[in-house]
Amino acid sequence: MSTIPDPLGGDAAAPAPAAPAPDTPAPAVRLGAEGLKPVSPRLIPARRLAAAIPCAILLAAAVGCVVVGVLADLWWMHLIALLPLVIAAQWILLTGRRVRAIGYLDREDDLVVAKGLMLRSVTVTPYGRVQSVEVSEGPIQRRFGLASLSLSTAATAADADIPGLPREEAERLRALLAARGIDRMQSL
Amino acid sequence: MNPADTQIDGIVAPRRTHPLTPLLTGWRVLAGIVAVVSIQNIAQLVEEFSVRRALIALAVLVGVLVLSILVSALSWWRTTYEVDEDGVTLRSGLLTLTRRSAPRDRIDSVSIERPLVPRILGLAKVRVEVAGGSDSHLDIAYVASGDAETLRREILRAAQQAQAPEAGPDSAELHSAGPGTGAPEEAAARSPRSLDVDAVRSFAYDGVTDGEEIATVPTSRLLHSLLRDLGLLIGLAVTIVWAVAVIGADLLFGDEGLSVGALAGLLPALLLAPQMLFRRVESGWGFVARLTERGLRMRRGLLNTRTDAIAPGRIQKIALSQTLLWRGPDWVAARATVAGIGEEIGETNSAGSVLPVGTREELGRTLDCLMTPLGTDDDLAAARALLTSPARSLAGHRAVHPLLWIKRRTQAVVLLPHAIAVRRGIITHSLEIIPRERIQGVFVTQGLLGRALGAADLSIAVAGASVLVEGLPLASIEALASELAVDAACGRRYGEQETWLRPRRGLPQEPAGAVAA
Repeated sequence: MSTIPDPLGGDAAAPAPAAPAPDTPAPAVRLGAEGLKPVSPRLIPARRLAAAIPCAILLAAAVGCVVVGVLADLWWMHLIALLPLVIAAQWILLTGRRVRAIGYLDREDDLVVAKGLMLRSVTVTPYGRVQSVEVSEGPIQRRFGLASLSLSTAATAADADIPGLPREEAERLRALLAARGIDRMQSL
Repeated sequence: MNPADTQIDGIVAPRRTHPLTPLLTGWRVLAGIVAVVSIQNIAQLVEEFSVRRALIALAVLVGVLVLSILVSALSWWRTTYEVDEDGVTLRSGLLTLTRRSAPRDRIDSVSIERPLVPRILGLAKVRVEVAGGSDSHLDIAYVASGDAETLRREILRAAQQAQAPEAGPDSAELHSAGPGTGAPEEAAARSPRSLDVDAVRSFAYDGVTDGEEIATVPTSRLLHSLLRDLGLLIGLAVTIVWAVAVIGADLLFGDEGLSVGALAGLLPALLLAPQMLFRRVESGWGFVARLTERGLRMRRGLLNTRTDAIAPGRIQKIALSQTLLWRGPDWVAARATVAGIGEEIGETNSAGSVLPVGTREELGRTLDCLMTPLGTDDDLAAARALLTSPARSLAGHRAVHPLLWIKRRTQAVVLLPHAIAVRRGIITHSLEIIPRERIQGVFVTQGLLGRALGAADLSIAVAGASVLVEGLPLASIEALASELAVDAACGRRYGEQETWLRPRRGLPQEPAGAVAA
């Protein structure tokens, strides 16, 4: 698709057309999805495992609502019971798609991170602006051999984090960000 | 301290703040206690009033006052500040010693604040602004007003030395003025006849009398501009209508005149409206801006006054605005976002407001001093054209989808060679200008509606602020994002300072002291 923001996933050095956009509504395609590297698919079971306890709590809440509804004869308690079920269901069902929607790319000058299904966001952070890089792994992530990388800049809006990277990839990115950050050090 | 250190000028050995400080801070503790106690128990206090109780209360208050002053005095005694080759250091703490320091190469600017009571006592607070997030400043409170000025110079000289090795050849001249630039010597060097006039002017403008005058806001223009500010007028009108409605309703339906409930309802209005008005008056009263070797120095304030300096190299964003009724006299307000100066500290009264209400010429001079070149033939004319012409007539990126008709008419993004300008509004025109070399990153978001309309939001981040442009078509987003991403990646390398863009009007090369000597 030509109207996809290709520079967000393609070559940064290519000069983009500066002219205002032609008046054509772009087709509804996911923003900045092309050419990005996906995160590890192991993040899907990791997230599901992490969601197990909250899901159990939600289920218990739903059961509690139904019990109260039956005992006290309040029909609307059954409707309230639906709410935790819906939340739990979307966690379980959409985790895979959410994880597959995360993408990143370390380009020549900057790091692109895209995420989100309904609310899609694409962040472009130049290496020279990065002030600190943090690699972290929780107990569940560690079991799956994953780590997440987060970087901060002087502007909070340009901060980015990538969850669910394979550990060696996270280490590679951290080293790359540190090296290129020093190479391209920029002031405020 | 090594003996060698004393050779470096710009040193202030560890010393305490002014001895009156504990009185000021101690009094505040007492006022806080009294306020809390009396608000909570006011009804009971009034009911059970007697002379004896009043005397006891008075004695307790005096006791508390003495105690709090003693505590303040202790903490004053333990608080020292110091300016040395590393920067500014503030040590404080009774039991645990805290040491806060501002490294000299990160010192942005030094502002002097004179809140009402310290001002009456001839004291001032010196605030050292450090580059970084919000709340990155060091307060030296309080020092004598005259000392504040000297201290400011000392701190700035120390900061200047840190930047000197990289700042290129012209800073060497700045330095050569050396230690002789202190305020007293400078004043003494002048002829006695002009001394009186200078003293009066210096008093009236809090020492902001050197350097080329950039802007001065006369009181008449300030008051006039407030009368012409629709937003403020509507705010005041709503407050008055609200107050009248509450009182009217209470008189009509209430039993016994004004009730406590009505007063409670009025309270926000009674507090907010004067505060809103007062802030506006305060932020522009006696405003004067002058170009000094440290950047633009500004003085403002009626009861609480402050002087700040903004160096052009630190400006991340400039916002201009013009309300409907300011178009006749062609007045414009300008604000600057500077990394490190917290916007949350008194929104309108902070240093960010670089021109509360200025004429066309004053705006031109201010922009010349602060704004990096836009890359057009005539930057000022370009900025004015962007500000004054309707957003829909501008040639730039704007929302195209018919459903986004408000955005289509009120918002336009214009990419200039060295800056990006975002123009908004129909009634109040506002223009935000971000130098492209300051961009920290770009951020594109798209919601469900955006996906259906083929539009997305672009936010452009600089340190301390970000500008959000909503509803742009994907093709515009693509063009802008790719172009700005390259800017963000390639702008302002540390090693290439000589290629940085600078404002058209550079800083004066010779400090005022050199002329006197």
